[in-house]
Amino acid sequence: MTEEPLFELGRIQQWMQAAITHPEGVAGGIRSPAAQEHLAIDLAQLEEFVTRSSGMSAIDRLQIYGNAYFARLIECLRDGFPVLRHAVGDEAFDAFSFGYLQSHPSTTYTLMKLGPRFPQYLADTVPATDDMPGHWFDFVVELARFELAVGQVFDGPGSEAEPLLSATHLLAIPPEQLLEVRLATTPSLQLMVLRYPVHRYYEDHRRGVDAVPPGREEIHLALVRNRFIVRHHELSKAGYQLLTRLAAGESLGSALAGVVSDGSVSAGAISQGLRSWFQEWAAEGFFCRVDC
Amino acid sequence: MSARLGYANLGLGVGLRTVHFPFILDSWPQVDWFEIISENFMDSGGRPRYVLDQIAERYPIVMHGVSLSIGSSDPLDRDYLAGLKILAKSTGARWISDHLCWTGVAGINTHDLLPIPLNEQTLRHVVDRIRIVQDILERPLIVENPSTYVGFASSTLSESEFIGRMAEEADCGLLLDVNNVYVSSVNHDFDPVEYVRSVPAERVVQVHLAGHTRYETHAIDTHDGQVIDPVWELYHLAHRLTGGVSTLLEWDAKIPAFPVVHAEVLKAKSYMRENLPTPNDHSNAVAQPSDERSLSNPISFLLPEMGSART
Repeated sequence: MTEEPLFELGRIQQWMQAAITHPEGVAGGIRSPAAQEHLAIDLAQLEEFVTRSSGMSAIDRLQIYGNAYFARLIECLRDGFPVLRHAVGDEAFDAFSFGYLQSHPSTTYTLMKLGPRFPQYLADTVPATDDMPGHWFDFVVELARFELAVGQVFDGPGSEAEPLLSATHLLAIPPEQLLEVRLATTPSLQLMVLRYPVHRYYEDHRRGVDAVPPGREEIHLALVRNRFIVRHHELSKAGYQLLTRLAAGESLGSALAGVVSDGSVSAGAISQGLRSWFQEWAAEGFFCRVDC
Repeated sequence: MSARLGYANLGLGVGLRTVHFPFILDSWPQVDWFEIISENFMDSGGRPRYVLDQIAERYPIVMHGVSLSIGSSDPLDRDYLAGLKILAKSTGARWISDHLCWTGVAGINTHDLLPIPLNEQTLRHVVDRIRIVQDILERPLIVENPSTYVGFASSTLSESEFIGRMAEEADCGLLLDVNNVYVSSVNHDFDPVEYVRSVPAERVVQVHLAGHTRYETHAIDTHDGQVIDPVWELYHLAHRLTGGVSTLLEWDAKIPAFPVVHAEVLKAKSYMRENLPTPNDHSNAVAQPSDERSLSNPISFLLPEMGSART
């Protein structure tokens, strides 16, 4: 070792990482350009850098790390997307995970953040084959989005430590102030538009029912955590739009005007449904406070 | 320097795992202390963190990390260190530990505990980084010897010599994992007894125990079973040399019910007696063989199980 210490360490680490994370195994990794760039050796020279033990060759010792790399991270994705795995089957799930990890290796200190780009990876992959036609794959992508969101709501920020806003609180707001108030949504609230009712498939699977992939149907959905339990709530399109605007910090008056001007619902219809919406949403714990 | 850097002997503890949450919350077992995997709680705003806060009110907590990557040539992750510090403060963590390893380079995290060449240059690199970490955390770092599966031709120091000098020069503590010593002794053909004897005992703040899987040609640190007798003998030796330090059992795969895990660590009491024979030769020791392919670090060690807590 005659080179600068940190450079030399970095070179060895770049080489070893390229070798043990290569999809064709350590031998393929050592031959890969990514490894050769840092340490231009062939397999015959390996033991000049990595020692053998009394029981194992250098390549077999390195392969222990190589075996673990994809296996560990695929297992992590299985834990994060159990219903998706059930839907596509183990073989397909592992194949998708294997591809995903090659294009999106972990770059954070926590495995909890391994999966956020998985749904988009699936959407970009779209293997519309006879076995897995495009519309089926749209369902798979939506299921991945939903399952990711459930995990994020489960362990993300919440408001369990604070009182939620009840329907009584909302109804007590003086009418002359109503349009000016801003209703702060609980931090766990996630709003989604789904192309398939994957939440029903997800629930069926979790209840042990033989879940059947549903047909296409646009769904507006709220996910929220209450007392550490994640719940989903179907919304009307107008309700979804109103909640989206409220969550963005608009006043109630501005949000209502915006929804009407979007043209998806009439002012009459919205005023008719408003009271029951807010009763339901407050009961589900969508709001944590009123900001006047 | 005071023994164990002034850290108390917390007794016999258990690694906190999500599958045991219901039992712990229902029965509040008589456990001396719990060790948590730092990364599993640093960003949690949900039930895992809520449960941890309740447990931290009743038991001493120690933070054990897997992503510090103290041996990496990448820059230290300051955001990660800030997160560690916040979690330590909010849980009243007694100390913070991680491994002598690197987990990735060029911005990638392999989520494995990878070995570094052991020589003067890497010793200087690791010592410098431990000092920076200790300055940021405002407390001594406790560094664990990992199980390793490869060695480097550029190594000029034994691992025990490396960690001994590292501890002295960085003024840090040691987490002596006697199972890792045993596993690495199989994989690198060294004497585990000599290893334990040569570690600076006054620097050892904590001991880890665990099970492993033995293959014909090597051993893997699987944390999936009972501690084998040769490892208990190493524990006995470590206990004699240190005078007794906080001891923790890790069980991360095929995890049994909490009382089984707790009973396993309580076996340590029988190895605290002075009149037990001191181990000399483990060449005939045989661990449970396995034909299954094992991960170099079990997934449950790195990730909390979440599905059962959702509805």
